[in-house]
Amino acid sequence: MTKPKIATDWLAGCSGCHMSLLDIDERIVQLAELADIRATPVTDLKEPDESGVDVGILEGAVNLTTNEEVAHRMRRRCKILVALGDCAVFGGVLTMRNFHKLEDALRRAYVEAESVDGDGKIPSSPELGRPTRVRALDEVVDVDVYIPGCPPDPDVIFYALSELLQGRIPELKDEKLHWH
Amino acid sequence: MVSLTIDGRQLEVPEGITVLEAAKLAGIEIPTLCYHPRLTPYGGCRLCVVEVERMRTLQPSCTLPVSNGMVVYTNTPKVREARKFILTLLFSERNHYCMYCQMSGGDCELQNAAYGEGMTHWPLPPNWNPYPIDASHKYFVLDHNRCIICRRCVRACGELVGNFTLGVRERGADVMIMADLDVPLGESTCISCGTCVQVCPTGALIDRMSAYRGREKDVQRIKSTCVGCSVGCGIELIVRDNHLLRIEGDWDAPVNGGLLCELGRFRPLYEDRERIVTPLVRMNGRLKAATWEEALHRIAAQLKPLVGRNGDGIAALASTRLPAEALYLFKQLFAEKLGSEMVTSIEEGLPTAVPGAIAQAAGRPLEGGLEALQSTDCVVVIGADLTENHQVAGFFVKRALPNGIRLIVIDPHENGLQRLAHYALRPKKGTDLELLLGILAGVIRLGLAKGEVSSAYDLDRHTPEAASQITGVPIDQILAVSQTIATAQKPVFVYGKGIIGDGSPQALKALLELARLVGALDEERSTVVSTKGQANSLAAYLYGLDRTFEVNGHQAVYLALGDDTPSQRLIQRLQGAPFIAVQASYVSPVTAMADVVLPVTTWVEQEGHYLNLDGRLQKARRGLQPPAEVRSNVEVLEAIAANLEMTLNCSWKEALRARVPIVAIRE
Ligand code: SF4
Ligand code: SF4
Ligand code: SF4
Ligand code: SF4
Ligand code: FES
Repeated sequence: MTKPKIATDWLAGCSGCHMSLLDIDERIVQLAELADIRATPVTDLKEPDESGVDVGILEGAVNLTTNEEVAHRMRRRCKILVALGDCAVFGGVLTMRNFHKLEDALRRAYVEAESVDGDGKIPSSPELGRPTRVRALDEVVDVDVYIPGCPPDPDVIFYALSELLQGRIPELKDEKLHWH
Repeated sequence: MVSLTIDGRQLEVPEGITVLEAAKLAGIEIPTLCYHPRLTPYGGCRLCVVEVERMRTLQPSCTLPVSNGMVVYTNTPKVREARKFILTLLFSERNHYCMYCQMSGGDCELQNAAYGEGMTHWPLPPNWNPYPIDASHKYFVLDHNRCIICRRCVRACGELVGNFTLGVRERGADVMIMADLDVPLGESTCISCGTCVQVCPTGALIDRMSAYRGREKDVQRIKSTCVGCSVGCGIELIVRDNHLLRIEGDWDAPVNGGLLCELGRFRPLYEDRERIVTPLVRMNGRLKAATWEEALHRIAAQLKPLVGRNGDGIAALASTRLPAEALYLFKQLFAEKLGSEMVTSIEEGLPTAVPGAIAQAAGRPLEGGLEALQSTDCVVVIGADLTENHQVAGFFVKRALPNGIRLIVIDPHENGLQRLAHYALRPKKGTDLELLLGILAGVIRLGLAKGEVSSAYDLDRHTPEAASQITGVPIDQILAVSQTIATAQKPVFVYGKGIIGDGSPQALKALLELARLVGALDEERSTVVSTKGQANSLAAYLYGLDRTFEVNGHQAVYLALGDDTPSQRLIQRLQGAPFIAVQASYVSPVTAMADVVLPVTTWVEQEGHYLNLDGRLQKARRGLQPPAEVRSNVEVLEAIAANLEMTLNCSWKEALRARVPIVAIRE
């Protein structure tokens, strides 16, 4: 029997959710036994197989046009899409930006910030994409499973992934359910 | 009894309760948000909906009265779906990004409700319009972004506090909690009682001092008693790592039912007096840090030669904020063991000596309890400003006003209750007695007296007209007040120092006579209440600490000041005293004058009992550990006695029975 394939990627986040995923420690070996871990931002292969994976996991909010592309690509290539962490689930701490004009936020960050020494410039490389309003993942693509938390607890991540890899939809409640 | 079925369980419950309360009695949890056990159900949030057989729509259980044969389901798919939908809408209305909210992580009823329904995400995107944050209030912040318009704050401010500062403006998505006619809270009529903050279920009303300093699961809650005044409100000390984060009203406390005033809730957290942390002894004209042995020895050496010396020996004064245990030791040590005559309290019996003497003469208590304010139809407040001091008693009066009670305020001075009073009488200063006699004469003239007037009063001379002449209060007002009081079913009289402050009992006697004639005072019961003064005014009186303090050639003065603030008058009277020893928590002009200073615990660092204004004997518990060198007021008095080779007994409770109490003691 072939093991289910799993791929992860990140959007606009702090990578904390991936760190929390790595925090499951030696249990990663158990996961590796259950699943074929294909692509992640922290391994060599960065993109999920074109032929598709069973479980796709996304961290981070949608904050740039390039994030949208990554989100759509993952959605196309996975059967079950997991929003991992508060940014993917709710928009997260990044949403503070939505309370300001985009130009003001960019100017504050790249030109006026105390750590910028006088000649700051707002980055404009096409590779970066265009900034957008910050959105939760499900405002852009359909999400099947939500794992909230900032970051989610490693135990919760482990529980959710083992359920998924054994063909069940995890049910987060009681002590497993925290939004932050 | 009513019988109904909830979730298949047959229940017998008292009539008149709601389905929510019935479920609670049976241990069945129904989630709620706008409901609060101390507030009138409002049925606004709909989270508590249940399915009821033969009712077409889901019903809010918090407003639905139980009825016979009702069949209720609290947990059907339809109910759960409705709850989720209600929560979904609430989250979509404003900003509930919990990760930057002080309440997140167990303390927010909205978040907990969402967890309870297993919500892993928000089915609808949130509203991105930022709402304002009102940070104008000195003690708390109102963040409209977190507000769910449950109106608990509005109801608490009106129903419980009677202040009616908070309201709601606009409709639909624009609804906002507002203060007065939409002014910033800090500029509003808010009296900073903090009740709204205590009832808010979300992070919308946040206390500045304790915000982000610990969640419910990190803190300890200690039930205690406020020593801010003689009302003696029940409090909960919220403590973390020996820091006092917050003070809340104890909902279960019989005196205050959860309410506190600014003085009890917020002021102690902003204490900024300089603490005394080590004994101090004057050497070569300057106060120097010393050991306890040195300090106690110095006091003993000064006091010993003065034992039993009448007239010019030792004068001793104690704060009425000290616990009864300490007051009793103080009185024993100085009056009985050291034989001094000048042993009294900082209040000098001002609020208690006059009613005390009357009770003593009558051989029974004169006064009743504050609970009379819960079922009255007419309140007379005289010589007390309940918006300044004893404020929670004032809340009881204010919140009864919408029930149609009549309020009569008699005060020559500006008084915060005057604007709410039906009759605000302002007699000329020093004419309270004449006014009371005029009202009394009015009651007789109107033929409404319940009984004969005492022969002590010559009503040919004290007519309403004469009273009007002397007091400057219009005659029609005097007669209207006579009529109002005399026709009330359950009149209550609340009096304060104002009518006894000159030490003359005549005005109080007239008040008691008036109360008797309108049925507020007889052998069995009394609905006359006096405000007393500080937390242990009454206990100090019962221990006989009630004479006027004078330093007349006394060789030594001992002050058990505790954490009290000395008055200017006291400071002046101490001028020229040859030797002064003080036990105190904070630096003050008095400690600066002293020859020996002993550091003692503050109210929150010690245990002890307080006798409140209506005779309840209540315990104040320790919330914080004192600094290392600081001792309790009791320990210090015991140590002084030990240094003088004297032993003190600790029968403080029995000693409270030495005098006839002004109001019956309840334990
Ligand atoms: S009020 Fe409650 S639900 Fe709203 S942000 Fe704060 S913790 Fe979250
Ligand atoms: S401020 Fe708090 S108590 Fe008042 S309506 Fe809003 S959520 Fe309810
Ligand atoms: S602090 Fe008290 S008076 Fe002020 S708004 Fe809140 S409940 Fe009303
Ligand atoms: S009324 Fe008195 S006892 Fe009650 S909270 Fe205020 S100061 Fe404390
Ligand atoms: S709790 Fe019943 S409607 Fe809000």
